[in-house]
Amino acid sequence: MKLLKYTFAFLACAAITSCSSDDDNSDSNDLTGQTGEVTLKFDNGVGDQDFIFGTTYNKSNSESFQLETLKYIISNVAFTDSEGNTFMYPTEDNVFIVDEADGNNAGEIYITLNDLDAADYVSVSFGVGIDQDRFALGADGQGDFLDEASDEGMMWSWASGYKFIKLDGTFSTSTLTDEPLNVHMGSVGTALDNYREVTLAFPNTVLVRDDASPEVHIKADIAKVFDGSTTANFADGYDQVHTDVNETPIIADNINTMFSVHHVHND
Amino acid sequence: MKRIPLFLFVCLLVSSCNKDSETEVYVPVPIQVEWPENFPEMAYNLDNNPLTEAGFELGKDLFYEGKLSSNGAIACAFCHEQAFAFTHHGHNLSHGVNGGVGFRNAQPIQNMAYQTSFMWNGSASHLDLQPIIPITSEIEMGETLSNIIQKLSADSEYQEKFDRAFDDGEVSTENMLKALSQFMVMMVSSNSKYDKYVRQEDNVTLSTIELDGLNTFQQKCTSCHATDLFTDQTFRNNGLPVNPLLNDTGRYEILEDPNDLYKFKVPSLRNVAVSGPYMHDGRFATLEVVLDFYDAGAVDNGNVDPLLLREDNTYGITLNDYEKESLIAFLKTLTDNEFLEDERFAEY
Ligand code: HEC
Ligand code: HEC
Repeated sequence: MKLLKYTFAFLACAAITSCSSDDDNSDSNDLTGQTGEVTLKFDNGVGDQDFIFGTTYNKSNSESFQLETLKYIISNVAFTDSEGNTFMYPTEDNVFIVDEADGNNAGEIYITLNDLDAADYVSVSFGVGIDQDRFALGADGQGDFLDEASDEGMMWSWASGYKFIKLDGTFSTSTLTDEPLNVHMGSVGTALDNYREVTLAFPNTVLVRDDASPEVHIKADIAKVFDGSTTANFADGYDQVHTDVNETPIIADNINTMFSVHHVHND
Repeated sequence: MKRIPLFLFVCLLVSSCNKDSETEVYVPVPIQVEWPENFPEMAYNLDNNPLTEAGFELGKDLFYEGKLSSNGAIACAFCHEQAFAFTHHGHNLSHGVNGGVGFRNAQPIQNMAYQTSFMWNGSASHLDLQPIIPITSEIEMGETLSNIIQKLSADSEYQEKFDRAFDDGEVSTENMLKALSQFMVMMVSSNSKYDKYVRQEDNVTLSTIELDGLNTFQQKCTSCHATDLFTDQTFRNNGLPVNPLLNDTGRYEILEDPNDLYKFKVPSLRNVAVSGPYMHDGRFATLEVVLDFYDAGAVDNGNVDPLLLREDNTYGITLNDYEKESLIAFLKTLTDNEFLEDERFAEY
């Protein structure tokens, strides 16, 4: 029994700590052992317009808004191939902040994922925010993301938890003009779970190979935050969204409808 | 849980290739957190943060470290003093960097491993992540996580301490929070006179008045101050008049659910005789005033716990003079001097 335990520990260790020596597989027809990279390009827009800071956008109920901050957390990116196998990116590196301010001239924010198993992928799924399992791991599950999120203003200072999305700016309604708009939606411990996952099918297969680095162009329609599956009006209190038990799940569900894959490049 | 240290040890032997020879080596010496037989299940998951001697020591250094604040002067221990069960003695509301005054009375730090949520309104649900609140709050420590890591990295003593405490040896936020948790998880208060009495240790007995107090307590208080932690860990409104200056809505702040108005975490009453002042805003200086409040001071603030509704339609818990006197005698048996004087937790 003891021996068994030691053997197990030994094997597990060997598996974990084997010095990285990429066993290069040069058989080009066989995908086993091949890995490649994929870039997810996030492109924020509002309806058919590109998103630009400081620009006023109209929404329903004769309301409008403009933003100075637009960030959200993406995690648990996974790809599914044509045979139904799922490749989950390694958990500890699988959490990212998409910050519009980091965008290139075209307003695109890149997330590059390395060492994906080579395969013909047909869909991608990811979550917005931090799931309950990761949060429950405490410091161990958050790793260096704590610093990043904290520096980016994606953590509350009055409660311990993440803002899954951060929209700061101003809004106007038929009666109010340029009032502060702050949507900082997140989960509250185990009491309120606002983590949501979305799965997006690719319009054509994404071919990950040793020598091919496909790009997936993902559009995020920010208008959906307020006009998604449910209409959320500033006049009804959706100008300040933090941890409210009724408002935040509606915003979370709305955000879940804002993503679509516009096209993919296999190069 | 007990298997982890063995596992790590074997790993250390095997994984010679991923570690370049450093000055300090990680040789984990596991330590055990107490699980007294009269306590409920532990809530903290040790698997994700196995306790070691070096981790605990580092956590203690950090708890007493002013560098965790923007002005270098406000350590955790500034507001959490051991002699007062790690509360901010003499302050109904705590103040931090730049003399800013906070909104609430500092809570004792004891038996954190058994607690399912933290802060008066439960705004932290994991012990590891709780310190982020005081650290980044402008009126408490006013610092940023990355700034602290910079300060600690520049200090060679801390470099070595992190090397000894963690396998990856990194001076990082993750490891800092793990170390703080290791220190706080170890802070178990379970050796009061009452504990020895219920566990039948050392022939400890309670006096008549203490027993009468215990009896009254069991009849009138344990619906909320339940188990030997003396809290059922729920959020409740015990009928305190709302202070319009603070208008602290308690748990309502979190989910903005009207049912949560003025609800606060039921506090543990361990070491309560030394942890005053009392209530979330420290409005009561003595236990006598607390009991007078339960007897005759509770008001209908709109959402008072139904358990406190009396037959005459007022809120409160009727207590005669002897019941008050004996309750206080009983509450004093919850003082754990071994804990309050435990050198493992002391600064010097
Ligand atoms: C400026 C004073 C101050 C400082 C500094 C401070 N705290 Fe606190 N602490 C408080 C107050 C006040 C509360 C209760 C706050 C509330 O409920 O809103 C509290 C609550 C806590 C709790 C929750 C206890 C419970 O029973 O839920 C823990 C744990 C804690 N503090 C740990 C720390 C640690 C670790 C540090 C250092 C990183 C620290 N504190 C620094 C004042 C302080
Ligand atoms: C309905 C639930 C309930 C009952 C019953 C109850 N309490 Fe409490 N008690 C609370 C809550 C909630 C608080 C914290 C309230 C706040 O700060 O807003 C509290 C606070 C206290 C405090 C202050 C502790 C501190 O650290 O600040 C003491 C002492 C106390 N109660 C003693 C008693 C005694 C003795 C009884 C029985 C006579 C009793 N309680 C009955 C819910 C209850």
